[in-house]
Amino acid sequence: MVRDYNNRHALEQKLRSAPVAPAADHLMVGHWRTMALVLARADREEAVRRAIASQPDLSMRFAAPGEWLVVSEVEAPSGLVRRLEELCDGGAYVVDQSDGRVVFRITGPNVRSILAKGIGLDLHPATFTLGGSANVLCGHVPVNLARTDEDTFELIVPRSYAESLFDDLMRMGLAFDLTAAFSD
Amino acid sequence: MASLITCPHCGVRPKEEFAIRGDASRGRPEPMDSDEAWHDYVYVRANPRGRTQEHWHHVAGCRRFLVVERDTATHEVYSVVDAAEFALRATR
Ligand SMILES: [Zn+2]
Repeated sequence: MVRDYNNRHALEQKLRSAPVAPAADHLMVGHWRTMALVLARADREEAVRRAIASQPDLSMRFAAPGEWLVVSEVEAPSGLVRRLEELCDGGAYVVDQSDGRVVFRITGPNVRSILAKGIGLDLHPATFTLGGSANVLCGHVPVNLARTDEDTFELIVPRSYAESLFDDLMRMGLAFDLTAAFSD
Repeated sequence: MASLITCPHCGVRPKEEFAIRGDASRGRPEPMDSDEAWHDYVYVRANPRGRTQEHWHHVAGCRRFLVVERDTATHEVYSVVDAAEFALRATR
Protein backbone atom coordinates (compact mmCIF):
# COMPACT_ATOMS: atom_id res chain seq x y z
CA MET A 1 0.00 0.00 0.00
CA VAL A 2 1.29 3.42 -0.89
CA ARG A 3 0.79 6.14 1.66
CA ASP A 4 1.29 9.84 1.31
CA TYR A 5 2.66 11.65 4.31
CA ASN A 6 2.29 15.34 4.80
CA ASN A 7 5.65 16.99 5.31
CA ARG A 8 5.24 19.08 8.42
CA HIS A 9 8.00 21.16 9.98
CA ALA A 10 8.83 20.39 13.61
CA LEU A 11 8.04 23.99 14.63
CA GLU A 12 4.87 24.39 12.56
CA GLN A 13 2.76 24.66 15.73
CA LYS A 14 5.07 27.12 17.45
CA LEU A 15 5.62 29.47 14.51
CA ARG A 16 2.30 29.19 12.71
CA SER A 17 1.04 32.62 13.70
CA ALA A 18 1.59 35.60 11.40
CA PRO A 19 5.27 36.57 11.26
CA VAL A 20 6.15 39.29 13.72
CA ALA A 21 8.35 42.24 12.81
CA PRO A 22 11.88 41.10 13.70
CA ALA A 23 13.44 42.87 16.68
CA ALA A 24 17.18 43.62 16.89
CA ASP A 25 17.70 40.09 18.21
CA HIS A 26 15.89 37.65 15.99
CA LEU A 27 15.57 33.87 15.68
CA MET A 28 15.02 32.46 12.20
CA VAL A 29 14.04 28.94 11.25
CA GLY A 30 14.16 27.83 7.64
CA HIS A 31 11.53 25.42 6.38
CA TRP A 32 14.02 23.51 4.26
CA ARG A 33 17.66 23.11 5.03
CA THR A 34 19.74 20.40 3.48
CA MET A 35 22.43 18.68 5.51
CA ALA A 36 24.28 15.41 5.73
CA LEU A 37 26.60 13.75 8.22
CA VAL A 38 29.96 12.74 6.79
CA LEU A 39 32.09 10.21 8.66
CA ALA A 40 35.52 9.66 7.14
CA ARG A 41 37.15 6.25 7.04
CA ALA A 42 40.27 5.75 9.16
CA ASP A 43 43.28 7.47 7.57
CA ARG A 44 41.09 9.29 5.00
CA GLU A 45 40.10 12.16 7.33
CA GLU A 46 42.39 14.78 5.85
CA ALA A 47 41.56 13.92 2.22
CA VAL A 48 37.82 14.05 2.96
CA ARG A 49 38.15 17.32 4.85
CA ARG A 50 40.06 18.91 2.00
CA ALA A 51 37.65 17.65 -0.67
CA ILE A 52 34.61 19.14 1.07
CA ALA A 53 36.37 22.33 2.16
CA SER A 54 37.21 23.03 -1.49
CA GLN A 55 33.49 23.57 -2.20
CA PRO A 56 32.60 27.17 -1.32
CA ASP A 57 28.84 26.52 -1.12
CA LEU A 58 29.14 23.70 1.42
CA SER A 59 29.46 24.61 5.09
CA MET A 60 31.32 22.13 7.29
CA ARG A 61 30.37 21.86 10.95
CA PHE A 62 32.77 20.00 13.22
CA ALA A 63 31.11 17.03 14.94
CA ALA A 64 34.06 14.85 15.97
CA PRO A 65 37.52 13.97 14.66
CA GLY A 66 36.89 12.87 11.06
CA GLU A 67 33.18 13.66 11.28
CA TRP A 68 31.30 16.71 10.02
CA LEU A 69 27.79 17.96 9.50
CA VAL A 70 27.73 19.45 6.00
CA VAL A 71 25.07 22.11 5.38
CA SER A 72 24.01 23.40 1.99
CA GLU A 73 21.81 26.37 1.12
CA VAL A 74 21.32 25.34 -2.49
CA GLU A 75 21.30 21.55 -2.84
CA ALA A 76 18.31 19.23 -2.42
CA PRO A 77 18.90 16.32 0.03
CA SER A 78 19.45 13.62 -2.60
CA GLY A 79 21.69 15.92 -4.63
CA LEU A 80 23.83 16.77 -1.62
CA VAL A 81 24.33 13.12 -0.68
CA ARG A 82 25.26 12.20 -4.26
CA ARG A 83 27.66 15.11 -4.52
CA LEU A 84 29.34 14.35 -1.17
CA GLU A 85 29.78 10.71 -2.10
CA GLU A 86 31.46 11.73 -5.35
CA LEU A 87 33.64 14.29 -3.57
CA CYS A 88 34.79 11.83 -0.90
CA ASP A 89 35.41 9.10 -3.47
CA GLY A 90 34.63 6.19 -1.16
CA GLY A 91 36.56 7.76 1.72
CA ALA A 92 33.51 8.48 3.88
CA TYR A 93 30.05 7.38 4.93
CA VAL A 94 27.41 9.97 4.05
CA VAL A 95 24.03 10.02 5.78
CA ASP A 96 21.26 12.47 4.90
CA GLN A 97 20.04 14.44 7.95
CA SER A 98 17.81 17.01 6.25
CA ASP A 99 14.57 15.66 7.74
CA GLY A 100 16.16 14.59 10.99
CA ARG A 101 17.47 17.93 12.22
CA VAL A 102 16.31 21.52 12.49
CA VAL A 103 18.47 24.60 11.97
CA PHE A 104 17.97 27.67 14.16
CA ARG A 105 19.68 30.87 13.11
CA ILE A 106 19.95 33.50 15.82
CA THR A 107 21.30 36.95 15.10
CA GLY A 108 21.59 40.32 16.81
CA PRO A 109 23.76 42.50 19.04
CA ASN A 110 22.89 40.51 22.19
CA VAL A 111 23.24 37.05 20.67
CA ARG A 112 26.18 36.05 22.91
CA SER A 113 24.42 37.13 26.10
CA ILE A 114 21.39 35.10 25.06
CA LEU A 115 23.34 31.98 24.18
CA ALA A 116 25.52 32.23 27.29
CA LYS A 117 22.44 31.48 29.39
CA GLY A 118 22.40 27.93 28.11
CA ILE A 119 25.78 27.17 26.58
CA GLY A 120 28.94 26.58 28.63
CA LEU A 121 31.34 27.65 25.90
CA ASP A 122 33.43 30.81 25.56
CA LEU A 123 31.62 32.69 22.78
CA HIS A 124 33.90 35.75 22.78
CA PRO A 125 34.48 36.82 19.14
CA ALA A 126 38.23 36.28 19.52
CA THR A 127 37.78 32.75 20.89
CA PHE A 128 34.81 31.42 18.95
CA THR A 129 35.97 32.74 15.60
CA LEU A 130 33.99 33.21 12.41
CA GLY A 131 33.36 29.84 10.79
CA GLY A 132 33.97 27.99 14.07
CA SER A 133 31.63 25.19 15.12
CA ALA A 134 31.26 22.72 17.97
CA ASN A 135 28.98 20.12 19.50
CA VAL A 136 27.76 21.52 22.82
CA LEU A 137 24.93 21.31 25.32
CA CYS A 138 22.31 24.06 25.35
CA GLY A 139 20.70 23.42 28.69
CA HIS A 140 20.23 19.66 28.43
CA VAL A 141 19.82 19.59 24.66
CA PRO A 142 22.76 18.50 22.48
CA VAL A 143 23.27 20.98 19.64
CA ASN A 144 25.82 21.75 16.98
CA LEU A 145 26.68 25.41 17.34
CA ALA A 146 28.34 27.37 14.53
CA ARG A 147 29.25 31.00 14.11
CA THR A 148 28.20 31.89 10.56
CA ASP A 149 28.57 35.67 10.65
CA GLU A 150 29.81 38.49 12.90
CA ASP A 151 26.84 38.26 15.30
CA THR A 152 25.05 35.25 13.85
CA PHE A 153 25.04 31.70 15.17
CA GLU A 154 23.35 28.55 13.93
CA LEU A 155 22.16 25.77 16.21
CA ILE A 156 21.39 22.40 14.68
CA VAL A 157 19.28 20.06 16.80
CA PRO A 158 17.70 16.65 16.37
CA ARG A 159 14.14 17.22 15.17
CA SER A 160 12.46 15.83 18.28
CA TYR A 161 14.32 18.37 20.46
CA ALA A 162 13.35 21.33 18.28
CA GLU A 163 10.25 22.45 20.20
CA SER A 164 12.03 22.11 23.52
CA LEU A 165 15.04 24.09 22.31
CA PHE A 166 12.75 26.71 20.78
CA ASP A 167 11.03 27.26 24.14
CA ASP A 168 14.43 27.44 25.88
CA LEU A 169 15.81 29.97 23.39
CA MET A 170 12.74 32.20 23.63
CA ARG A 171 13.06 32.19 27.41
CA MET A 172 16.80 32.88 27.19
CA GLY A 173 16.02 35.83 24.88
CA LEU A 174 13.10 37.22 26.87
CA ALA A 175 15.15 40.01 28.46
CA PHE A 176 16.29 41.12 25.00
CA ASP A 177 12.84 40.94 23.35
CA LEU A 178 13.97 38.13 21.07
CA THR A 179 11.53 37.54 18.21
CA ALA A 180 11.14 34.43 16.05
CA ALA A 181 9.74 33.53 12.65
CA PHE A 182 10.13 31.20 9.72
CA SER A 183 12.65 32.69 7.34
CA ASP A 184 11.05 31.31 4.16
CA MET B 1 34.60 16.83 41.06
CA ALA B 2 36.74 18.37 38.36
CA SER B 3 34.34 20.79 36.71
CA LEU B 4 36.31 21.72 33.59
CA ILE B 5 37.80 19.10 31.30
CA THR B 6 40.05 19.99 28.37
CA CYS B 7 38.96 17.60 25.64
CA PRO B 8 41.78 17.06 23.12
CA HIS B 9 39.23 17.44 20.30
CA CYS B 10 36.78 20.06 21.64
CA GLY B 11 38.71 22.25 24.07
CA VAL B 12 37.67 23.28 27.58
CA ARG B 13 34.23 21.89 28.43
CA PRO B 14 32.01 21.66 31.52
CA LYS B 15 31.77 18.25 33.19
CA GLU B 16 28.01 18.09 32.42
CA GLU B 17 28.92 17.14 28.85
CA PHE B 18 30.64 13.93 29.98
CA ALA B 19 29.68 10.52 31.31
CA ILE B 20 32.25 8.93 33.62
CA ARG B 21 32.86 5.25 33.01
CA GLY B 22 35.26 4.41 35.83
CA ASP B 23 38.79 3.13 36.28
CA ALA B 24 40.90 3.21 33.11
CA SER B 25 44.08 1.83 34.64
CA ARG B 26 43.11 -1.84 34.83
CA GLY B 27 43.40 -4.09 31.80
CA ARG B 28 40.74 -6.52 30.69
CA PRO B 29 41.57 -10.13 31.66
CA GLU B 30 42.09 -12.77 28.98
CA PRO B 31 38.90 -14.73 28.07
CA MET B 32 40.09 -17.91 29.80
CA ASP B 33 41.46 -16.23 32.94
CA SER B 34 40.17 -17.41 36.30
CA ASP B 35 36.72 -16.52 37.63
CA GLU B 36 38.41 -14.55 40.40
CA ALA B 37 40.23 -12.37 37.89
CA TRP B 38 36.99 -11.69 36.02
CA HIS B 39 35.06 -11.13 39.23
CA ASP B 40 37.65 -8.56 40.29
CA TYR B 41 37.58 -6.89 36.90
CA VAL B 42 33.80 -6.65 36.68
CA TYR B 43 32.73 -6.01 40.28
CA VAL B 44 35.54 -4.97 42.58
CA ARG B 45 36.24 -1.26 42.65
CA ALA B 46 38.75 0.68 44.67
CA ASN B 47 37.72 4.12 45.87
CA PRO B 48 41.09 5.80 45.82
CA ARG B 49 41.94 9.13 47.34
CA GLY B 50 44.39 10.94 45.11
CA ARG B 51 45.56 10.52 41.57
CA THR B 52 43.37 8.29 39.34
CA GLN B 53 42.86 7.48 35.69
CA GLU B 54 39.27 7.25 34.49
CA HIS B 55 37.39 6.77 31.24
CA TRP B 56 35.31 9.84 30.46
CA HIS B 57 32.92 9.73 27.51
CA HIS B 58 32.37 13.09 25.82
CA VAL B 59 28.69 12.34 25.22
CA ALA B 60 27.55 15.86 24.31
CA GLY B 61 30.67 16.77 22.34
CA CYS B 62 32.82 14.67 20.05
CA ARG B 63 31.48 11.38 21.52
CA ARG B 64 35.03 10.05 21.93
CA PHE B 65 36.18 8.12 24.98
CA LEU B 66 38.89 9.99 26.86
CA VAL B 67 41.22 9.02 29.68
CA VAL B 68 41.26 11.71 32.36
CA GLU B 69 43.98 11.67 34.99
CA ARG B 70 42.80 13.62 38.00
CA ASP B 71 43.05 13.91 41.76
CA THR B 72 39.88 12.81 43.55
CA ALA B 73 40.74 14.92 46.60
CA THR B 74 41.94 18.21 45.12
CA HIS B 75 39.95 18.05 41.83
CA GLU B 76 43.10 18.89 39.92
CA VAL B 77 43.19 17.52 36.35
CA TYR B 78 46.65 16.39 35.22
CA SER B 79 46.02 15.15 31.71
CA VAL B 80 43.31 14.27 29.20
CA VAL B 81 44.01 12.01 26.22
CA ASP B 82 41.88 10.18 23.68
CA ALA B 83 41.35 6.58 24.82
CA ALA B 84 42.68 5.27 21.50
CA GLU B 85 45.87 7.24 22.03
CA PHE B 86 46.03 6.00 25.65
CA ALA B 87 45.76 2.36 24.50
CA LEU B 88 48.41 2.94 21.85
CA ARG B 89 50.81 4.34 24.45
CA ALA B 90 50.13 1.40 26.77
CA THR B 91 51.05 -1.16 24.09
CA ARG B 92 54.31 0.62 23.27
ZN1 LIG C 1 35.27 16.16 22.86
